[in-house]
Amino acid sequence: MSGPPRPLIELDGVTLDYVARGGRTRAVEGITMSVPRGACIAFVGPSGCGKSSLLRLVSGLVRATAGTVTVDGRRVTGPLTNVGMAFQNPVLLPWRTVLGNVMLPLEILKENRARLAADRARWEGRARELLRTVGLAGAEDKQPRELSGGMRQRASLCRALIHEPELLLLDEPFAALDAFTREEMWDLFQALRRARPFTGVLVTHDLREAVVLADSVVVLSTNPGRVAHVHAVSLPSPRTLADGYGAEATGLIAVMREQIRKAQA
Amino acid sequence: MRRRALLPLVVFVALLGVWEIAVPLLDIQQIVLPRPSAVAQTMVQTAGPIAHHARHTLETTMIGFAAAVVLGLGLGFAIGASAAVHDGLYPLLVGFNSIPKAAVVPLLVMWFGVGTVPAVLTAFLLAFFPVAVNVAVGLATLEAELRDVLRALGASRWQIFVKVGAPRTMPMFFASLKVAVSSAFVGSVISETVASNAGIGYLMAVAASDFNTRLAFSGLFVLAAMGVVLYGLFAAIERRMTAWAYTD
Repeated sequence: MSGPPRPLIELDGVTLDYVARGGRTRAVEGITMSVPRGACIAFVGPSGCGKSSLLRLVSGLVRATAGTVTVDGRRVTGPLTNVGMAFQNPVLLPWRTVLGNVMLPLEILKENRARLAADRARWEGRARELLRTVGLAGAEDKQPRELSGGMRQRASLCRALIHEPELLLLDEPFAALDAFTREEMWDLFQALRRARPFTGVLVTHDLREAVVLADSVVVLSTNPGRVAHVHAVSLPSPRTLADGYGAEATGLIAVMREQIRKAQA
Repeated sequence: MRRRALLPLVVFVALLGVWEIAVPLLDIQQIVLPRPSAVAQTMVQTAGPIAHHARHTLETTMIGFAAAVVLGLGLGFAIGASAAVHDGLYPLLVGFNSIPKAAVVPLLVMWFGVGTVPAVLTAFLLAFFPVAVNVAVGLATLEAELRDVLRALGASRWQIFVKVGAPRTMPMFFASLKVAVSSAFVGSVISETVASNAGIGYLMAVAASDFNTRLAFSGLFVLAAMGVVLYGLFAAIERRMTAWAYTD
């Protein structure tokens, strides 16, 4: 086969209506776009623009009202399996240790259970290594309630990655963290991507976060959510904090802020 | 911690003291309100029969309670897991729960005769509701994100239940046990009072018909002690089993 490789994610005319009491609400409309394998894309936009809906569409947790979602060449009709997800709320299981939480994804899918059963020590070693990468060495046997918010979010990232998913979906994962911790998480996210590449879809309201982490940023308009603008981020990778606060990034952020302001009006 | 254990005891003893002094002081007849010391005397004298009846009450309570836990868990899980079961069953359960259970005892007696069976059933009827409701609420309030995390991993509904739903419900389940055991206790005593030939409730009924106030108060104290112990026991089990749910 020749030609460019097929993108991992393809959205074609995707529209999503929520049926609620008293009628339908259109969350997103006519979204057509694609995400190349290995890239990281960020969705930004005013609140209520359907950012989170897009994530749920890609993961198959909701089905499109119209249009098609294709992941890895297959049309999405139900929840994808083996996807990593992380949310603003780290939602760790409070009755499990940190290590137990990170190991959870391996206990679900049959093929993962088989992998775990075949070599438990190897996977536990991998979980410990992931935790070390995110600075949680020594916290493996702690209870989630003993951790700070930032530490919990790190553990939640480890849980999203332990089963080596091809696709990582992040819904405002760092929004609840303080500014310093958030910036640390940007470095961490890039380090994790370098260590084992994955395709990332990030929903955020932090424009600088989008610029630092994503290869391209999609600005959505609101009511219903449509693709308003797409920006390729040409900063070198890996990006340091200085890059994120540099002239190029700041210029792009200013442009996007203006676009979002207009999209809201 | 010591103070929290000691203080109620001090207050209790002080109240007994006031009672002891007030009865002769206000010239209250013993048949209306016996002094605590007189009640204690009766308790010692009739320790054998009281222990026999207390054991009987404890047994009926625990059998009814055990059945209530099993059914309450099952029902709670079904209601919490399925919107259809919730919509169809929950209003009926609430309606049923609002029937004063004392009114059901005569029916149970007609069906099963005077004795242990109506007591066990009354205990069961009173106890299963709190268990079912707590379990159902615990399961229904599972965080949407947590469900999404698991669904995106390819988890089936059953796996979501086993991995997250059921364990997350445990604190509410164990919290309901101490309420349920108290309810079961109330149920069996009510039934014993109306129609039984054993149990503390029966003892109280007999004491009342003989106008034996001292014996009635003896039964009351024993009931209070049993109630406190049962509640304390399940409160302790709750703390032990679900330590993770408490931020200290």
